[in-house]
Amino acid sequence: MSEQTEIRDELRAVARDLLGGPGRAGQAAAAPGGSDVDWQVLAGADWLGLEVAAELGGADATFAEAAVIAEELGRAVARSPYLGAVVMSVGTLNELQPNALRDRLLSEIAAGAVISAAVLGSGNGLASAGQPPPFRLERIAAGAVLHGQASFVPDAASAGSLLLLAAGQDGSPVIVRTDPGVPGLTVTKQPVLDATRSLGLVSAAGAEVSPDCVWQFAGDARAASRRLLDRAAVAVACDSLGLSEAMLAATVGYARVRQQFGRAIGSFQAVKHACADMLVQIRVARELVAEAVQQVADRECADDEATVAASMAKSSACDAAVSIAGKAMQLHGGIGYTWESGIHVYLKRAILNRELFGSPAAHRRRLAARYA
Amino acid sequence: MTVAATAAGLAEFRAAVHNWCRAHVPVSWRQAQTGASDEEYVSFQRAWFAELRAAGFAVPHWPAEWGGGMSVAEQVVLYSELAAADAPRLILAFVSIHHAASTLLAAGTPEQCQRHLPAILDGEIWVQGFSEPEAGSDLASLRTSARREGDAYIVDGQKLWASGAQHADWCLLLARTDPAAPKRRGISYFLLDMRTPGVDVRPIRQATGESHFGEIFLTDVVIPASQLIGPENGGWQVAQATLGAERGMTMLELAERLGNAGFGRLVAACSRRGEDGARPIDDGLVQDKLAGFETDIAGLRLLCRALVEDHEAGRSGPADASIVKLYYSELLQRLTDFGTQIGGLPAQTELCKPASAGWESGAWALDFIGSWEWTIPGGTSEIQRTIIGERGLELPREPAAG
Repeated sequence: MSEQTEIRDELRAVARDLLGGPGRAGQAAAAPGGSDVDWQVLAGADWLGLEVAAELGGADATFAEAAVIAEELGRAVARSPYLGAVVMSVGTLNELQPNALRDRLLSEIAAGAVISAAVLGSGNGLASAGQPPPFRLERIAAGAVLHGQASFVPDAASAGSLLLLAAGQDGSPVIVRTDPGVPGLTVTKQPVLDATRSLGLVSAAGAEVSPDCVWQFAGDARAASRRLLDRAAVAVACDSLGLSEAMLAATVGYARVRQQFGRAIGSFQAVKHACADMLVQIRVARELVAEAVQQVADRECADDEATVAASMAKSSACDAAVSIAGKAMQLHGGIGYTWESGIHVYLKRAILNRELFGSPAAHRRRLAARYA
Repeated sequence: MTVAATAAGLAEFRAAVHNWCRAHVPVSWRQAQTGASDEEYVSFQRAWFAELRAAGFAVPHWPAEWGGGMSVAEQVVLYSELAAADAPRLILAFVSIHHAASTLLAAGTPEQCQRHLPAILDGEIWVQGFSEPEAGSDLASLRTSARREGDAYIVDGQKLWASGAQHADWCLLLARTDPAAPKRRGISYFLLDMRTPGVDVRPIRQATGESHFGEIFLTDVVIPASQLIGPENGGWQVAQATLGAERGMTMLELAERLGNAGFGRLVAACSRRGEDGARPIDDGLVQDKLAGFETDIAGLRLLCRALVEDHEAGRSGPADASIVKLYYSELLQRLTDFGTQIGGLPAQTELCKPASAGWESGAWALDFIGSWEWTIPGGTSEIQRTIIGERGLELPREPAAG
């Protein structure tokens, strides 16, 4: 077993303990509203700076480790801005040329002092070639202002700092850091059925931009923004995988003890076979997700290979999660349909995840474009 | 042939296998094997086996002292390359090199191994005599009897679904030696010479019109006691221990074939213009299905890779082989069904498919019908789901009937 595998296993064990608490696995579900996670606990566990450089107070780890946390947050259906503030924001900042303000922001994110959100596009979109950034910089006499809009942006409404992907004055993408309260910028919460996620609409109509907050990408900006959206898609796939496993564990636990017709319902083939199908779906999704995580984490990997792996993982894991959470509700019977059972929390998160950063159909469309 | 399992060593090995395939995979074997007679099929299979043997590729999974000794990493490369080259499959020798060999190696005496393993390399063909008319999924209820008389057993009964029985020299036979014992404790395992008087083989014509299988009738068949393998009445345990032995690597090979020739043929079929001049691949629904299949196949290939690696590392779970078998079988069925729809009525005018090919030969309608040869034998999909539920998820067993 490699050292990396051991580190990840250790991280997973700690995360399960911290997020789930002993004895949670196999029980019906989380609190009906999802479980809250104290941001300072995540900071204290050093999970916020996993991908931040050591000299900035981070752990110098990779996306593969952040993916473990994403999966465990899904398993716990945890309410937390990890996706926007850590997966997306730290990923974005790491793609930029270093500068003092960027470095300070990375340190602050790692320490849990700032919650950031990255606005790379609308949350229902997926990376595609030639897609323009959601915002654009316009020169005015006093400097530059920002125009544009992006909807369903994870964690934008609760963020204290925003990273906006914008077309620079020469058309090439840049990142603009701004505060949500700056004049000309509005951030509106977009309430959704899934109460465990926070999505927001970010609109800029001539929002003022400070010149030292326009940051350049270190490499090819278009490739970087595509990579960032693929990362986000894979992180959501991890979340769906985690919640699928939680749903299977809960269902199997229930089927072992729930008695009808004088037998545990899990002894009936109709129930047993449905659980077997859930496990098969999970095993397949787990392989595809692990492959995509590795490709995204591996900086040497060709971008198009990582994109293919990301689309496969996203479409497979997110389709599977809806089917599995739905089957979990079905196999729990009447109790599964109650608010109190909390299964609806998983199902709602699963249907939200399915749409975020590209629906399964959109990802399959991207795969199919290679066949022509 | 062994190479260091380093990345560089494996890359070199991959190149060597790749070149070997270019030099040795018979050109247009598919055409030659389409509509081939039984004799043509058998002689082609024998010749291909000899080619692989000469290269050291026939039994890579055997221990080194018997002519194998290839590392798992190298075997993965070997089977991936054979699949990528669309090489013929080893069908005739399948039971011999996998099931017979693993049974001999696990439970055979040194004499039994010495007698049969080299013979298998020289082309000895084996068949599995397990299923019976009244013992399919419930294999342990088999009724073929073996009575001890002096230094021999006298066997009577009937075996069904014996793959390749017409061509077999030897049979792996399960028979009941203690009718009074609980059903799993009264079964013994024998090596039966198919030339023994009282052995009668009749082919079974299957749904595709081919006859891959046979019925074996056994009437007062005398088997020397030296051909018992494992302990008397311990046959069920031997069979359980060796049944899944071949599954990992053969599933990997099949998954690679599905990913290479199989998916490639499907995309090619979708890219051809139909009578209306339209190409199916220009239809968004067809694209969606294709991308779904590509994703599912990628998942299957990774799953198979994990299965052989976990098996090698001794960390495989009790239901892992069942998960792979179930997923492959149903994916094959879905994919060939889709191919049949893409092929339309012209696909139904293909009345025979190439022998020696994989399960997705491109004769889609026949491939689709043939896919039940995966979802039924070797433990039906229903049995696999029960195994996954009970051994993989530890769900309670169904109360035993009767």
